[in-house]
Amino acid sequence: MDLLDRYLHAVKFWLPKAQRQDIVSELSEDIRSQIEDKESELGRALTEAEVETILIRIGRPVLVASRYLPQRHLIGPALFPIYVFVLKIVTACYLVPWILVGIGLLVYSPGYPAAHGGGWFGPLGTIWGGFWMTALLAIGAVTAVFAALERGASRPHFLENWSPRKLPPVRDPNRIPRATSIVELAANIVFASWWVLFMSTPTVLDRPGIQITLAPVWIYFFWGYLILAAVNVAMAGANLLQPNWTRTKAGLRLVTNLCGSAMFCVLCQSDILLTISLAIDGSPNGQRIADAINMWASRALPFAVGVGLLVLVVDVRRLISSQAD
Amino acid sequence: MTHVTDTSSAYENLRLELRRGCLALAVLGALRAEQYGYSLRKILADRGMAIDENTLYPLLRRLETQGLLVSEWREEDKRNKRFYRLSHDGTLVLRQLLADWQSINTSLSAVL
Repeated sequence: MDLLDRYLHAVKFWLPKAQRQDIVSELSEDIRSQIEDKESELGRALTEAEVETILIRIGRPVLVASRYLPQRHLIGPALFPIYVFVLKIVTACYLVPWILVGIGLLVYSPGYPAAHGGGWFGPLGTIWGGFWMTALLAIGAVTAVFAALERGASRPHFLENWSPRKLPPVRDPNRIPRATSIVELAANIVFASWWVLFMSTPTVLDRPGIQITLAPVWIYFFWGYLILAAVNVAMAGANLLQPNWTRTKAGLRLVTNLCGSAMFCVLCQSDILLTISLAIDGSPNGQRIADAINMWASRALPFAVGVGLLVLVVDVRRLISSQAD
Repeated sequence: MTHVTDTSSAYENLRLELRRGCLALAVLGALRAEQYGYSLRKILADRGMAIDENTLYPLLRRLETQGLLVSEWREEDKRNKRFYRLSHDGTLVLRQLLADWQSINTSLSAVL
């Protein structure tokens, strides 16, 4: 019975101290009865291999012991969907911006790579390591809060005291709220008026002490954005009258946003600021300021592209889910 | 092939779920007369409700913790055995469960 004793000892190891002896005695009695039954059936003692077969059928000691333990979970099935939802929010609002800041430091801050080992690998390693540490802390904190809720007295209260009346209303994704259309209409009219009054010529500011002149290419951007504003005013008006996204309206919004984003990206790269003249400093300083602004506009291109892509993703999703005209 | 595997796995899960509740009822029913673990397993197996040791003993402990069973260690055939039987509460609960079982059975017969 050496094999059986070894087996029972291994099961015992995984059991809680208080119940060990009791459980193992009962299991031992059962297995010995099985062996005896088999022996009477065969009319001889079982070989070690036959005992081994019985033990293998019963299962690995750790698994056998686990059946006697209470079911344990850090976060139970009732809270788990909320836990996953909060983790998604933490990822979107905390971890993704953290990565963007890291990339921004790497691209735009000349001192950052030098301070972290130079080249690409040193700073990338620092950002990557920092990201994992941040992720671990954020996810760990959320998990700890939910684990505490799971065990705390507040859980039943929080999950059981609810009313269907407090559930949010069902929102039609194709419905355009009138307030949105009104704000859009007003904003585009104000923008178009300001644009025509103050931005129609390359000399956008000509006051005593300060002159700002844009490159001649500005005229294309002026007309481009003016046309877009006019289209947006017409669309906001149409949305006000018929407050639903149709395929045509969603398609038109996609085209206008695509044009607006593309123009902005070209604008970033156009060295649009020709001169800034400041009476107090004289022209050399003014030129330096203009060059610096052009350089930063050019550097903002990746962010402009990123924001443009996000807007386009929203527009494409709206186009897919919109109703046929 | 995957579809066949999914179907058989779904069947296995549903079968286990169906059996889980029935086993508790069968164990309570069989323990109207005192039994020790192995003899209980044999009785259930003889009546077509085979149950392995890894399922039975944890179930017996749970039922005892819930106050539905009482147990005592006794020597029989020169071996220490733990004998179980229904407690007073266990008898009441079994009666209620059997009524529920009859009702479910009637409903199922009507549905199927």
